[in-house]
Amino acid sequence: MLSFYLYLGTAVLLVGIGGLGLWRGPELLRRILALNVIGAGIFMLMVTLAYRPVMQGEPADSVLHALVLTGLVVAVSATAFALALLGRLLTRAD
Amino acid sequence: MALLLFDLVLCALLLLLAGAAMLSRSLTQAVTLFIAFGVMMALAWARLKAPDLALAEAAIGAGLTGALCFTALVRYAKQPAYPQPALWRPLTFIGLVTALLLASLSQIPLQPSSAIPALVQQHLPQSGVSHPVTAVLLNFRAWDTLLELLVLLLALLGARQAPGDLPRYRGWSLSISWSRLLSPLLLLVSGYLLWRGAAAPGGAFQAGALLASGLVILRLNQQLSWLSWRHFWVRMLVLGGLLAFVLAGAVSLLLQDLGAVWLSWPQSIAGAVILIVESFATLAIAVTLTLLVVGEPKPEVADA
Amino acid sequence: MFPALLLVTLPLSAALLMLLWPRFARSLHVTVALLSVPLAGYFLQQILLHGEQQWLLGGWSPLLAIRWQADSLSALLLLLSALLHLLVSGYALAVQARDRLPAAFWPLSSLLLASLQALWLARDLFNWYVCLELLGMVAVALVTLSGDKALKPALNYLLFSLFASLCYLLGVALLYAGYGALDLPLLAGQLEANRLNAMALLLITLGLMLKAACWPLHIWLPAAHAAAPAAVSALLSALVVKGPLFILYLVWTELAPQAFWLPASYLFALAALGALLFGGIAALRTPYGKSLVAYSTVAQLGYATLALAFVLRFNLPEFVAALWLFVLAHALAKAASFLAMGELQQTLGSKQVSALKGASQTMPLAMFAFAVAGGSLIGLPPSGGFLAKWALLLGLWQSQQYFWLLVLAVATLLAAAYVFRVVVLAFDRAEPTAPDFAPQRLPQYLALLPALAVWAMALFSMPLLTLLKQEL
Repeated sequence: MLSFYLYLGTAVLLVGIGGLGLWRGPELLRRILALNVIGAGIFMLMVTLAYRPVMQGEPADSVLHALVLTGLVVAVSATAFALALLGRLLTRAD
Repeated sequence: MALLLFDLVLCALLLLLAGAAMLSRSLTQAVTLFIAFGVMMALAWARLKAPDLALAEAAIGAGLTGALCFTALVRYAKQPAYPQPALWRPLTFIGLVTALLLASLSQIPLQPSSAIPALVQQHLPQSGVSHPVTAVLLNFRAWDTLLELLVLLLALLGARQAPGDLPRYRGWSLSISWSRLLSPLLLLVSGYLLWRGAAAPGGAFQAGALLASGLVILRLNQQLSWLSWRHFWVRMLVLGGLLAFVLAGAVSLLLQDLGAVWLSWPQSIAGAVILIVESFATLAIAVTLTLLVVGEPKPEVADA
Repeated sequence: MFPALLLVTLPLSAALLMLLWPRFARSLHVTVALLSVPLAGYFLQQILLHGEQQWLLGGWSPLLAIRWQADSLSALLLLLSALLHLLVSGYALAVQARDRLPAAFWPLSSLLLASLQALWLARDLFNWYVCLELLGMVAVALVTLSGDKALKPALNYLLFSLFASLCYLLGVALLYAGYGALDLPLLAGQLEANRLNAMALLLITLGLMLKAACWPLHIWLPAAHAAAPAAVSALLSALVVKGPLFILYLVWTELAPQAFWLPASYLFALAALGALLFGGIAALRTPYGKSLVAYSTVAQLGYATLALAFVLRFNLPEFVAALWLFVLAHALAKAASFLAMGELQQTLGSKQVSALKGASQTMPLAMFAFAVAGGSLIGLPPSGGFLAKWALLLGLWQSQQYFWLLVLAVATLLAAAYVFRVVVLAFDRAEPTAPDFAPQRLPQYLALLPALAVWAMALFSMPLLTLLKQEL
C-alpha cells in the first residue's frame, strides 16, 4: 500500500518535472523530451492505478494497460513527427 | 520490506534522471539521461505487473525515441548555445500545481470501484484470444487501436512533408557483418512475440517495434535499399495494417446478420481475424517506424 | 449503423487508397466528398425522424465497448463537416495547379474529415483522446503543406496540441481512478463534487480550451492558421477548433457535477470576455490579411465560450441554441472569409492588408464574398451570425445580464471595425493594387457559396432553433 502511494506520488512529480522542462526549455528538443516525461508520468499514474487490484490478489486492470499501450504508440508517433519538423527547421536555419 | 526499498530506490532514480535530463546544461547529456530514464521506466512497469508495457517501453522509450533524438541532436551541434533561463519562477508555479495535484490524489480510492476487470475476465473466452490486454486492444476496444494505427501513419505522412537532409552514414565492415548476424535473430524474436501475444504478454506493437529496430540496423548498414515510400509494396506494407483492419471489419459486418455493429468479430473466427490483423499491423508498425527513423532523402514534388 | 459507419470509413479507406495509388488521389477524393454530403443529409433526416441512435462498437457490454451515439446535434455537425469538406475540395481542385498545393493534401484532408466524423460520433473519454490527437496531427501536417515558412508555426502548434492532449489524458486518468469507466453516458450524473474530480475536470477543460484556442490559450492559433494554405486555413478555422469545443460542451453539461457549474461559468465568461475584446483588437491591428481572419476566429470563439458559460449558469435552452448557432454560422462565414482572403492574397501577390486597396474593382467577387461573410461575423440581420447573437441576446435579457449586453455591443463594434477596415480599403479605388495575373472566377464563386449559405440560415431558423433547443 505504501508502494502504491509512492508510485502515485512519483508519477505526479514526473508530470511536474516535465512541466518544468517544458516551460523552461530553452531548446525545442528539450521541450519535446519534457513532453515525453509528462507522458511517462501520466502513463505511470495509469499503470499504478491498474496495480490496485493486484494488492487484493486479483490480476491487474488490463483495460488500463491497453490504454497505456495505445497512449505509448500515440506518444512515440507524435514525438517522431515533432522531431522531424524540428530537424527540418534546424537544417533550414543554417 | 525489501520490495519497498527497491521501490524507493527506483522512484528516486526515476525522479533524479528526469530532473537531470530537464536541467542539465548540455543537450547531449539530456538525451542520454532521457534514454536511461526510459530503461528505468521499463523496470518500473515490470515491477507494477505490466509486462506488456515493460516490453513496449524498452523498445520505444530506450530504443526508438533515443535513436530519433540522437538524429535531432546531430543538427544541434551547429547551433549556438542557448542561455540558461531562470529557474525560480517556473519552479514556484509548477511546484504549486504539483502540490495541488498531489493533494487531490489522496482522494483516489484504494479499492477500485470499477467492474471492468471482472467484465474483461467474463468476456475473455468469447474474444478469441486468452491474453486480456490483446483482447482489449484488438477486440473490446479495437476502434481505439485502429485510430492509433492511423496516428502512427500520420506521423509518417507529416514527417514526409518535412524532409531533413540526413547526413549519410557509411557503415563500416564490422557493423555490416554484425547487422547481418543480428537482424535475422531480431526477426525471429519479433515473430515469437507476435505469436505469444495471443496468450501471454507481447503482441503487435512490441513485435513491430522490435522488428523495426532490426530493419533500422540493416538500413543504416546500406541494406534494404528498396525500403522507401516510393516503392509500391513498401506503401502496401505501411498501409497493410489499416487496410487489413478495415477489411476485417467490413467482412465481419457482411458475415453477420443485419443488426451487427462495426468491429464485432464473429465469435467462431475471432481468433483468426485477430491474428491476421495483428500480423499485418506488426509489419505496418515495423516499416512505419523504420521509415520514421531512417527518413528519406528526396522531398516530395508538387502535384502538377 | 451503415450511414454513420460509412461517413467515417469512406474517407478513411479512401485516404488509404489514395496513398497507395497517388494517381487516383484526386478522383477518389472528389468521389468521397460528393458521396459524403447526401449520406450525411440522409443520416440527419433519419435521426430527425427516428430519434437518436447509439451503438456499442464490437457489440460488447456498455462498460467494455466504445460507444457511438448520434443525436441531432452530432448529425448536424456530421453534415456540416461533409459540406465544408466538399466545398474546400472544390476550391483546392480549382487552385491546386496555380498554388502548387502538394499532392499530400488529398489524403490528409480526407483523413481530417474521417477523424472529425469519428469525434462527433464518439461518446468515450479515451476514444476522444485518440481522436483529438489524430485531429491535431492531421491539422499540423496540413499546415506544413505551405512549405518551410510554415515550419515554425506548425511545430509550435504541434507542441501546444500535444501538451493539451496530455492535460486531457491526465484528467481522464483521474476520472478513471475514481469511477473506473470511460463511457460518457455511464459516467453521466455519477461524479461527486470532490477535489479529485475538480482537478480532473480542470485538467480536461484546460486541455480542451488550449485545443479550441479559447483566450488566453489561443497564442498558437493565429500564426498556424495564417501560415497554412488558404484551403487548409478554412478547414482548420471552420471545423478543427470546433471538435474540442464539442467535447468541452458534452463534458460539462453531461459529466460535471452541478456544484462545479457556477465556478466554471465564471471561468468561461472571463475567457469569453478576453477573447471578444482582445481578439477583436488584435484583428484590428494586425498588418496581415490572413492573421486578421485568424484573430477574428479567436474573437468569434469568444461568443461560443460565452454561450457555454451561460448554459452552465442559467441552463436556458436559448444559450444552447446560441452556442451551436454560433458554431454553424462561424464555420460557414470563416470558410468563406479564409477562401476569399486567400484568393485575394494569392492574386494580388501580397500578404498585407494594405495590398487590398481597390480590390472591389480588381476582384469584386472575392471582395463581395468577404464582405458578405463579414456581415455574418458582425451579426447583421438576417444572417446566421445574427440568429446566434439574437438567441444569445434573448437569453441574456431573460436572465438580466445587462453588463454582458454591453460587452456584446462592444464586441459587435469591434467586429464591424475589422471587417470595414478591409472593405473600406477595397473601395479605395484611386490606386488599386494590380493583380499578378487575371483573377480566376471559379475559386471566387466557391468562396462566395458558404457566405451566401450563412445568410440562407435565416430561412431555416425555426427548424434549426427547435432542433438545437432539444439538446439540453
